[in-house]
Amino acid sequence: MKGKPRIILFQCQYCLASSTDQDWVEHDLPKNIKLVKVPCSGRISPLFIMNAFQKGADGVMVSGCMPEKCHFINSNLGARRQLDEFRKFLIFLGLEPKRFKFLWMNIDERGVIQKEIAAFTAELKKLRPNKKFNSLKGEIIGQNYG
Amino acid sequence: MTPKIIKKNALQKTIKKWLKSYDLIAPAASKEGIRFKRITDPKEIVLDRYQNSIYPPKSIFLPQSEVMFNFENGSYTMPEDAPRKRIIFGMRPCDARSIWLLDTVFNKAEDLDIYWGEKREKALIISIGCAAICETGFCDTVGSGPFGEEGSDILITELDDAYFLKPLTSAGEKLISSLPTANDAQSKRARAIQKGSIVKDHTPADLGKIRDRLYDAFDTPIWKDISESCLGCGVCTYLCPTCFCFDIVDEVDRSERVRNWDTCMFRIYSQEASGHNPRPSKAERTRQRIMHKFAYWVDNEGVSGCTGCGRCVAQCPVNLDIREMVTTITSLKIQ
Amino acid sequence: MDDFSQVRKEAARILSKKKVDLVIGFKKGTIPLKAQPAFISSPDDVEQLILDGFCQNNLAVFLHDEPKDKRIGLICRACESRAVRALAIEHQLKRENLYLIGVPCSGILDWKKIHNAADGQITSAVEEGDQIILQVGGKKQTLKRNEFIVDSCRKCTRREPVGVDILIGEVQPNEIGTDDLTPTWGDKFAKKSSNVRYKLFTEETDRCIRCYACREACPMCYCTECFVDHIAPRWSESMVTPGGTQAWHIIRAFHQTGRCVECGACERACPMDIKMVYLTDKLNDDMKEIYGFEVGADEEKQPPFATITLDDKNRFTT
Repeated sequence: MKGKPRIILFQCQYCLASSTDQDWVEHDLPKNIKLVKVPCSGRISPLFIMNAFQKGADGVMVSGCMPEKCHFINSNLGARRQLDEFRKFLIFLGLEPKRFKFLWMNIDERGVIQKEIAAFTAELKKLRPNKKFNSLKGEIIGQNYG
Repeated sequence: MTPKIIKKNALQKTIKKWLKSYDLIAPAASKEGIRFKRITDPKEIVLDRYQNSIYPPKSIFLPQSEVMFNFENGSYTMPEDAPRKRIIFGMRPCDARSIWLLDTVFNKAEDLDIYWGEKREKALIISIGCAAICETGFCDTVGSGPFGEEGSDILITELDDAYFLKPLTSAGEKLISSLPTANDAQSKRARAIQKGSIVKDHTPADLGKIRDRLYDAFDTPIWKDISESCLGCGVCTYLCPTCFCFDIVDEVDRSERVRNWDTCMFRIYSQEASGHNPRPSKAERTRQRIMHKFAYWVDNEGVSGCTGCGRCVAQCPVNLDIREMVTTITSLKIQ
Repeated sequence: MDDFSQVRKEAARILSKKKVDLVIGFKKGTIPLKAQPAFISSPDDVEQLILDGFCQNNLAVFLHDEPKDKRIGLICRACESRAVRALAIEHQLKRENLYLIGVPCSGILDWKKIHNAADGQITSAVEEGDQIILQVGGKKQTLKRNEFIVDSCRKCTRREPVGVDILIGEVQPNEIGTDDLTPTWGDKFAKKSSNVRYKLFTEETDRCIRCYACREACPMCYCTECFVDHIAPRWSESMVTPGGTQAWHIIRAFHQTGRCVECGACERACPMDIKMVYLTDKLNDDMKEIYGFEVGADEEKQPPFATITLDDKNRFTT
């Protein structure tokens, strides 16, 4: 696609251990990526993902902690079941699988987030801008009699 | 006003002529049956003898979702100009009557709804009568009939090889002034068909008596019994050609103020900001719906608010029949 | 069916013995091809009760409004009994206050399809064995029952009511089934490519008039405030736009994951003939495949999204 793909990143506030990574995500994130920080990945509801695609996201990335590393003990596991199934569901309805990615981070990883985001951006650039589930200024259906 | 004739094999030619100066909206095939659509090719028109559209044609004048204006940075812009002149062809008399009834709500000169008014003044309604009352219809019981004339500019009776057109307003007369005039045999045949459409065991309901008995029953517990199986789903109100309640919403993400259909059958319809709900249960909401159609309309305008189209009877998921409900409450038969 | 007089007797018995205050079943509709839910509180009224292929609703939906301590008898087919189990697991009703009379079901008929197949206006419709006998304008018309069963009943493999207090009648296995010659809409959908699937999905949702009949007919949709009623944040636009309607269908189906009892009442309630069973079927199939969970199979097991376990740690890698 021309230009940069629009990406929404839902990120758990504890999953980045290194403060340099935290600063990078909060201040130096490329302009085409919007950050939505949540206290735990368990807060992320499928409604957020749906809303992201409807408001014109080309790709959505969900980043959280690995199992057994959750600050709130096991709340990230609740998210994993729901969001994994939701991804399968959206793919069933026609979404390209490459557009919705998970990144479960180990707390001793450093420098991973920058690489992953760059890789995700590069992959999305090969695809067209997302038209599926996009509802910005959607036309009122069935009432247009001319 | 002289009646005119269009031979069946000349109908497409006539419609193509109208298409040059008007937009045409007529029933066409759709996945759920028949739906009113904008037609550019007369071959798409479906005048099915046995079924009406499921979705009511009041949406032509009162769309289900309508943008009232766009707002941005403290100023607003009205939506684009009204459509050019339209002909609505193939409406049934029950639906044409519903437009006539809704005109008393939206089209009164001292109280004009500009969105309705703009569409209504540019529209001509050509309705086609029903040779037999449809399966769930009861239009003749509530003051109309399969050849009712209210709301239409022209009423068509389908003969064996031609369509008999009776103009009812000067606008209708002007539209068909160049068509051939009907002869006596055709007029006689049309009258016979109209007479034959009346069902023998239907009797017009005494609307005043029904209204009085509904008021008498207002505080009794009978409403709870008849509404027990109601799901509160709203299908009856969305498909009803005379239901007009709407909700105005500011869709901030779209920078628009929108008017949508609303339904009194939802619990939140009358829910107030304090949390109090004057119609807390299905009994009150069902009572409101029935009394609106058969009592309050009669009080305000002297006619029944129900046109007997039968859509609610056919589509209600639990087969709640408004005829049966009114009969149960008032002990006066509506069939 | 002959067994049904026994069901009426049982209903009369539990009412006269004051085991329950109310029996919910079906009675004859006001027009052909329809049946109405019946609320019987006196043993003298049990003669009204019927059960046939025109009984379209899932009766468990009426348990939402009744007070939890009211003793109610319910005439259950398999889907209603599963719904009662699922509602009990979610603490929406007290199972000990219900008396379930299980009855066998041979599939619900698609009244709109029958309507279209008739040559005129139907004045009466009766089921006899594997035939449907219609009176159309004075003439008799016979249809094969198997051709008019709704999709969700054709692929049903769980026709035996679960967790009932008494089962009256014999449950016949489903001989109709679906195969390559008679696929359901959902079967056909799953085989298409991803762009075609999206197109089919939007074609269905474009007809939606947001009447929410599907939500109200569903026994598992009991939220007093649905997500579409939220204004901030606005998840689903109130207008009939592609965005609002897609969000409605996708999220409603997703909220039913592992809870939907696969009764099909949503599709039957829809006035615009929108397909939606294929969405929840896909989600329930995934729940069975990944977690081994089936709605109504167990009296106490929580649905997958309500359980959090460390066993998941190696489950998802994407």
